[in-house]
Amino acid sequence: MAQSKLGAFRLRAAKLAALFLVVSLMISACGSAASESTTAPTAGSGGTSSTMDALIAAAKAEGELTVIALPHNWLNYGEMIENFSKKYGIKINELNPDAGSGDEIEAIKANKDNKGPQAPDVIDVGFAFGPSSKQENLLQPYKVSTWDTIPNELKDPEGYWFGDYYGVLAFAVNKDVVKNVPQDWADLLKPEYKGQVALAGDPRVSNLAIQSVYAAALANGGSLDNVQPGLDFFSKLNQAGNFVPVIAKQGTLAQGETPIMITWDYLAISARDELGGNPEIEVVVPKSGVLGGVYVQAISAYAPHPNAAKLWMEYLYSDEGQLTWLKGGGHPVRYNDLVARNVIPAEIAEKLPPAELYANAVFPTLAQLEAAKKVIVDGWDTTVNVDVKE
Amino acid sequence: MAEQASERGRGAQWQHLDLRRINWSWLGTVPFFLFACAFLVLPSASLVIGSFQDNAGNFTLQNITDLGQPSIVNAYLLSVQVSGVTALLGTLVGGLLAWAMVLGRLPRFVRAFLIPFSGVASNFAGVPLAFAFIATLGRVGFVTVLLKNLGFDLYDKGFNLYSFWGLSATYLYFQIPLVVLILTPAFEALRPQWREAAESLGASGGYYWRSVALPILTPALLSTVVLLFGNAFGAYATAYALTGGSLNIVPIMIGAQIQGDILHNPNLGYALAFGMMVIMTLVLALYSWLQRRSARWLQ
Amino acid sequence: MKKRSSLVAWLFIIVGTSYFLLPLIATFLFSLRAKKDTLGFTAYQRVFADSSFYETFLFSALMALLTIIASLLLLVPTVYWAYLRHPRLHRLIELVSLMPFVIPPIVLVFGLIKSYSRPPVILVQSRGLLIAGYMVLTLPYMYRAIDAGLRATNVKTLTEAAQSLGAGWPRIIWQVIVPNVRGALVNGAFLTFATVLGELTLAQYLAWPAFGPYLARISQNKAYEPAALTIISFALTWVIFGIVLLVNSKDQQQTQFGGTH
Repeated sequence: MAQSKLGAFRLRAAKLAALFLVVSLMISACGSAASESTTAPTAGSGGTSSTMDALIAAAKAEGELTVIALPHNWLNYGEMIENFSKKYGIKINELNPDAGSGDEIEAIKANKDNKGPQAPDVIDVGFAFGPSSKQENLLQPYKVSTWDTIPNELKDPEGYWFGDYYGVLAFAVNKDVVKNVPQDWADLLKPEYKGQVALAGDPRVSNLAIQSVYAAALANGGSLDNVQPGLDFFSKLNQAGNFVPVIAKQGTLAQGETPIMITWDYLAISARDELGGNPEIEVVVPKSGVLGGVYVQAISAYAPHPNAAKLWMEYLYSDEGQLTWLKGGGHPVRYNDLVARNVIPAEIAEKLPPAELYANAVFPTLAQLEAAKKVIVDGWDTTVNVDVKE
Repeated sequence: MAEQASERGRGAQWQHLDLRRINWSWLGTVPFFLFACAFLVLPSASLVIGSFQDNAGNFTLQNITDLGQPSIVNAYLLSVQVSGVTALLGTLVGGLLAWAMVLGRLPRFVRAFLIPFSGVASNFAGVPLAFAFIATLGRVGFVTVLLKNLGFDLYDKGFNLYSFWGLSATYLYFQIPLVVLILTPAFEALRPQWREAAESLGASGGYYWRSVALPILTPALLSTVVLLFGNAFGAYATAYALTGGSLNIVPIMIGAQIQGDILHNPNLGYALAFGMMVIMTLVLALYSWLQRRSARWLQ
Repeated sequence: MKKRSSLVAWLFIIVGTSYFLLPLIATFLFSLRAKKDTLGFTAYQRVFADSSFYETFLFSALMALLTIIASLLLLVPTVYWAYLRHPRLHRLIELVSLMPFVIPPIVLVFGLIKSYSRPPVILVQSRGLLIAGYMVLTLPYMYRAIDAGLRATNVKTLTEAAQSLGAGWPRIIWQVIVPNVRGALVNGAFLTFATVLGELTLAQYLAWPAFGPYLARISQNKAYEPAALTIISFALTWVIFGIVLLVNSKDQQQTQFGGTH
């Protein structure tokens, strides 16, 4: 009797479980079907002042803008957000400042039907994510009024994505711990830096870390097409005991566990300024192997506040916005244009590392970037082989 | 089982009441299953479905076969190892602490101190925890420097915080308090009268523990091990902050595929998570079997 | 006859406490270095001067409380009935309770957004979805705590005794079972509170001003303040738990159910 009760129960439970599963599958299937119908919008463009006024009015009517992945100390985004908000009276919702580019894309996808403050209006992603998001129909095109001053190789001709700023890889050095500051990649291998060199990310996850390996390649006999020497360099660094596998942050830099942090120049500069001498930080742009990294801006195709998004873009690419980025220690994409028109105030120009160091900067194309990514991600575990057993 | 037999025994008299009782208790669990369906199964359905899709949404088994890559297999092995080690060690150490607190005849304030502390510490994880351990046992950590001044260089002796054991030691910081919280009621359930009764019958302390206390505690101990395993298995932020880039555990891989700047194959990420579900189910099956075995042993 | 404290027990407690206190001491010492060359509480002053600290802490504390209440209301009857009447259902519930461990929070939150951001059920703007998400995340711990509490109590006997006295189900649960598993429920509540307070992913993507995202933002941009914040939130939560425990133990002494302890 107990057996048949058990059997009957099992059957019932199985049926119920199956029912739940089927219902859930149906609902989520319905969901994904509903969100497939989107048409690619045509590019609007900012231009004459009357269209600007109309845009400002429309943006103010929307009243809000949702951004994602914008830490306040990343290229002075803190000031950018505050100034934009004050100037136009538009409230800015800030989603996850720690988000990676993949996160931002997933956030757009998840919020396709959502017009609330969880859906990002604008994204700031790594170079490679521009074309890939365009392909997935996640973006809407827009050409800002200063469109023509953006270098051609750094924007999508149809206006779906456009470069916003670039930086080069540099060392942030804690001078309280490191008495003899390294000046180049080769210096990092010296025994005096045992257990002191760290990346600011995981090379399988973070764009920054991958570019660091790429830059090391350039300094060690590699080229934009040959990134293997970069992996070999880190392997040597690890075997010499100089590499610390911790992900460096401002805290570990100040505490001394990662006194030599390889990161973007603008992040190193903001760390230096933020810590204000406690401890002393020196920002070193290496003499060889100067790799430029570009990020791009884009507007989500599903943006709940499209006009606010466009106004945000206009602001970022205005002189005011570009100079705000420059203050943060990075090179805004219209840098050359700003220099040519002589609009950069002296105090801001002083904060940056000397311009000669940037003369050596090289910028990989998208194809080179993709190839390098693949080599580094595949090779990191095996080549660098950071030993974690006991 | 015994309970069903006794129910049948009373069956004749209480038949009508029996039916009513069964209907009630069945309904009692429906809210839970509705909740689980709406907020647990439904969101994860996309996970399961996504494991079998490619980027364009077509059905494929590629993600599943991709799970066979050596780097991924190693990641699963490492995840299981870290989770298993911290689950067992955590239960052992936490169990001893819970014992000491409940049965060690310690003053009341020890309990008032440890229980709230365990509550907080059980969730102390991620970047703050990693930083705390770096600040303690890193190369320029507080304890490391202290020992160096006393003439004992930890790192020269081969110690390394950024290793399997370093990570396990860090995980134990939130595993052990969890055990303390879960097992304290279990130790409290051991009535002192039983101990006194056993001793008055001539049993030694060891005998009491082996034959009376341990069998009673075993279900709770086993379920604690499983809970700890799951807790460590899904942990991500601590490992990433402590050894990011060098330690290959599955949650970090999932993060790399879904959230990262570089790899962006969310479907592979879903497949990885699906693999974790399978492993968790296997662990639970093992646990069920162990529970049944020990219940038999009890009788 | 008062028995002496066990020496071995003291040893365990002392070793255990050192292990737990050392990392906190290290963090605390670091947090004092905010001003160059001196040890002081500058970092703490900065934290306390930040209004976001209070706002986010209170918000998360409130959410935690609501989550605890909702979880208890949902789980205690469920686990009780399953434990008493349906051992196999009990196994199923156990499996379900362990599932949140293997669903990455990022997948959970995106799944919740996708499912509840369109008709017929639009929940994505409501706090209810956040609370439901928290309930899912804390399910393993809450379930375990309640389960351990029930196992430690003689549930069957108590139930039969109460039923033979004519009590209905709500009465049985509320006045017979709950007082006896109170300690376990308090522990479960602690676990839930601590989890919700530190929770990051759900709050971020559902765009709520919670404490977890605040802590993450500070960790990103600053060096000494995160350490100070860690110590402050640790201490604050500890004090709250201590108070609850004291109140609970006083209460328990007054509602002793004859014969069970």
